[in-house]
Order: sequence, then C-alpha cells, then structure tokens
Amino acid sequence: MKTYPIRKIHEHGPGVKSFYFDKDFEIRAGEFVNVWSPGVDEKPYSVSAVIDDMIEVSVKAYGPFSKDLMIKKIGDRLGLRGSFGHGFTLHDNALLIGGGIGIAPLRILAQELTAKGYRFVNLLGAAVAYEIIFASDFEKAGKTYFTTDDGSKGKKGLVTDDLTEIIENEKIEYIYAAGPEIMFVKVKEIIDPLNIPYEFCMERYMKCGIGICGQCCLDGSGIRLCVEGPVLKKEDIAQITELGMKHRDASGRRV
Amino acid sequence: MIKTRLLNFYLKSPLILASGILGLTASSMKRVIEFGAGAVTSKSFNKDWRTGHKNPSIVPFEHGMLNAVGLSNPGLDEMIKEIQLYKEECDTPIIASIFGRSIEEFGEVTRRTCEAEPDMIEVNISCPNVHSEFGQPFGDSCPDTAKIVQIVKEHAGNIPVAIKLGPHGPGIGVIAKVCEENGADAITAINTVGPGMLIDIDVQRPVLSNLTGGISGPAILPVAVKSVYEVYKNVKIPIIGTGGVTKPSDAIQMILAGSTAIGVGTAVYYEGIEVFRKLNEGIEKYLLEKGYKSIEQIRGAAHE
Repeated sequence: MKTYPIRKIHEHGPGVKSFYFDKDFEIRAGEFVNVWSPGVDEKPYSVSAVIDDMIEVSVKAYGPFSKDLMIKKIGDRLGLRGSFGHGFTLHDNALLIGGGIGIAPLRILAQELTAKGYRFVNLLGAAVAYEIIFASDFEKAGKTYFTTDDGSKGKKGLVTDDLTEIIENEKIEYIYAAGPEIMFVKVKEIIDPLNIPYEFCMERYMKCGIGICGQCCLDGSGIRLCVEGPVLKKEDIAQITELGMKHRDASGRRV
Repeated sequence: MIKTRLLNFYLKSPLILASGILGLTASSMKRVIEFGAGAVTSKSFNKDWRTGHKNPSIVPFEHGMLNAVGLSNPGLDEMIKEIQLYKEECDTPIIASIFGRSIEEFGEVTRRTCEAEPDMIEVNISCPNVHSEFGQPFGDSCPDTAKIVQIVKEHAGNIPVAIKLGPHGPGIGVIAKVCEENGADAITAINTVGPGMLIDIDVQRPVLSNLTGGISGPAILPVAVKSVYEVYKNVKIPIIGTGGVTKPSDAIQMILAGSTAIGVGTAVYYEGIEVFRKLNEGIEKYLLEKGYKSIEQIRGAAHE
C-alpha cells in the first residue's frame, strides 16, 4: 500500500469536496482508485480529473467513511491503490449524461475527449444546483444542458425528460452515462430503441478491487465490475439481470 | 487426458476454484467453469450473514497476498439459493464451503446445506483471520476436529465431506488422520497460512483493518506442497491440494505430492480467470511430453 499527502482540497458545497494527490500512476477515464483512510476503511472512488500532474478524487459525504474524509486536511496522508478497472472508450459526437456526484468520471472523460479533438454535449442533472460539481468546467468544454429537481439550475425535472430531443437535435452518435442506477434504467429505456451505442459507469459494493473476492460480480453474466467494469458497454449491460434492482452489500446479501 | 475422478464423480479438469474466490454467486461460478475449472467451491458460509472485516481486507504484496476478509457471507439461506441456481444452469460439480462458530452450528449448517444438493461439502475449520472473534481455529485441535467431522458426517447424508485444514496446529498429517478416522471423505489442504502482518511505513500502522490476515499466493506454495505430501503419507482419502498454485509446474508438484484435485484461488489475481485454461494446457503438455496417459499415473509419484 502506498500513501500520498493531500496536496489541495476544493469544497464545492455542503459535504462535497475534491481532493488532489500527486499523480504516481497512469489513469484513464472511468478507472478507479481504492482510497484508504488508515484506521477507518478503504473504498473505491472514480478519479474525476488529472490536472497539473495531480489526480482529483471527488467525494460526497454519505456514510462514515466519506464523512471522515470531509475532515481531512492538506498534508494528511491517504492510501491510494490503482488504477483499477476498465474505463471508457473514446468516440466523437457523444452525449455525456450525468446524475449527482456520479458525474465525477464524466469530468475526466470530457478531458480525454477534448484532448482527442472530439465533439461532445453534456446533460447533467442533480437534486439541487450545488450538487452539479464542475458545472462551469463542463460548460467550457462543450454545450451543456442542466436539470435540477427544484429548478435551481437549468430546467426543472430529470435528465431523461428531454433526452430524445437532445439526441436528435445534437446529432448524437455515442452516449456515456454515470450516476445513480435508476437513471441508467430510464436512460436505457429511451436509448435502446434508437440503436445508439453506449457505455455506463456502474457501481457495486467492492471489497478487493482486484477481481478475486467476487463481491461485485453482476448477476446474469458474472462480470466482475472491478475488473471488466466499472464502465460497461451496451452489450454487457444487456446481460445484467439485476439492473436497477437490489444489489449486494458487504455480506453479499441483496439489500 | 486431464479428466480426473474425485470420489464418485468425474472432473473434466483437476482444477477446482478454491473457496473465497469468485464464489459468492451462481453467475460468477458459472463464468469460472467457462474458463476451464473442473469444479467450483462456494464462498464459505455459516448460518447468519456476516459483513466480515472492514477494508483493507485483501492486500497483495511482492510474493503473495494477505487477506482478512473475515468470513463475510450472505448467510445460509441466500447461499443455498445461489447453489441451487448454479445447479439449475450448470452440470459441473459444485462444492459448498461451510463453517460454524460452534460445533453445533457446523451440524446445523450441514443439514440445511444438503437441501441445495451440492456435490460435496467442504468444511472450513482452519480460517486464520477470525481469531479475535472465534479464538484458535477448530482445526488446530484434534478433539474439536473429530467432533466437527462426526457432526457434519451425521448430517451430510450421502453427500461426501472434505475437511479443509491449515498447516498449523499439531501437524497436518495428524489432523488429517483424525478426519479420516472420523469418516471424512476427502481433505482440502491447505487454507491460508499465518496469520501474517504488513505494516505501512508512511503511516506506521498495519495495513489490514484486522491487523493480521492469512497469506496466500506463490509465497505459500512450498508449505502447501509439503502439507499435501504429509497428508498423502498419513491417509488414504483423496486430497484437494490448494495453496499458491499459479503456474502449471506448481499444479504438477501438487499432483506429485499426492493431490487428486488442485484448488486454485489467488492465481486469479496474477493471471486472470484465464489461469484455469493456462493450467489445464500446461498440465496436459507435461503429461504428453513425459508420455503419461493420465494424471493418476503421476499422483503421489514423489513418494516412491
């Protein structure tokens, strides 16, 4: 295990922060790292950007582990293992659909698409305005549509409300999505009939992160999300029999 | 050519997915079969669900892996469903790995596990990373081992029972003999070794949340080979030789020491699930080159 001092912290809003560490290993959009807070726990997080030779990890206060991260200061050391998993493939004329803090992996994807010179459009939604982190960065990178549950930013409603129109008007040829699973279910319903290829960045409880414990294996295909995912293509997603349903906790029970 | 008979069933390959690796769900175990395993072993389970230890719980190091997963499992009812689901969709044998916190629990879990009709029940009495909760593993004690084998056999009906042993305690040959005398049908040797510890030198504390954990992977291969050799000398029942097998030559050593089948676990980290195919090919190549027609011809050959 290797530990790294926190170089920089950015607070986006209540309980949402980005932490920056020296970049010590290669990482591609969609891949993840295991973050270890000594004495507390270790959890997987998407890397949200690579900036100035630092990697950025964005965290929302949710459970005991992420709440503990919120009180970390510059210079505190955290363990980072990775990069793990299989990330996004890059395509032109893409739509990036993000929900809540789940948009983190789309930020590094936007960086990579930009570097390739590919055109892309963003469609980002959250409960309230401040939960759409990096809004201005996404806007600078490409045309961006926003939705919020309360209308505090962009259109009031869900990312799926105007999805069909946006795909048509923006001449979208590839779709990426990251966010809550219920959003995937709705997005999938809408885009499957359109015959547009897509990739979703998924989440499951992960224990080892290195493909041996079996905790994150998906029902249907047995795919290990920590190795073959977390980004899955349309064909792999089609085989999942548990999409949007209960999935397994630390014991392996479906909850 | 590498077809193997283990007790009353035939395995298309002598390689068995070891307990604790990719064995939580039917989908996952089926996938391992597609990669060439001759049988799979479920994750060890007991009566009630357990979350196990916090992370980090599995940490690779230069020569192997240290783990203290802490016997996390969704409990008997869920695992029975997964085993049944596996059996509905797959003909390849499945071994149910069970444990208990008490001797009585071993009996109860065995009785219920029979509902799922696994091809074999493997009894884990040697997990080295639950000391703080369970105390010394049952498998370190001859009287406890005898009692567990008896109670499991009493409840297992005609489902064969393998006892999974560690390299510690009064000597694995001695314990294996106790298992055989009390009716065990097979021995799985070995569990992880240790416990061991790794310390992070920057934050200056143990890496595993549980502080200590069992060692697996290439580092323990010589311990496993020696353990299988010991067990083979002491008992007549078949051995599932497990521990550090990563390369074909490792698997062949296990057979030469006396293994009937070979457990593969941590190697999935080093070689991917493809490890099963690679090992099958390597074993077959060895047999061909040496002019053997079957694994049986070299089983225990190191003893002659």
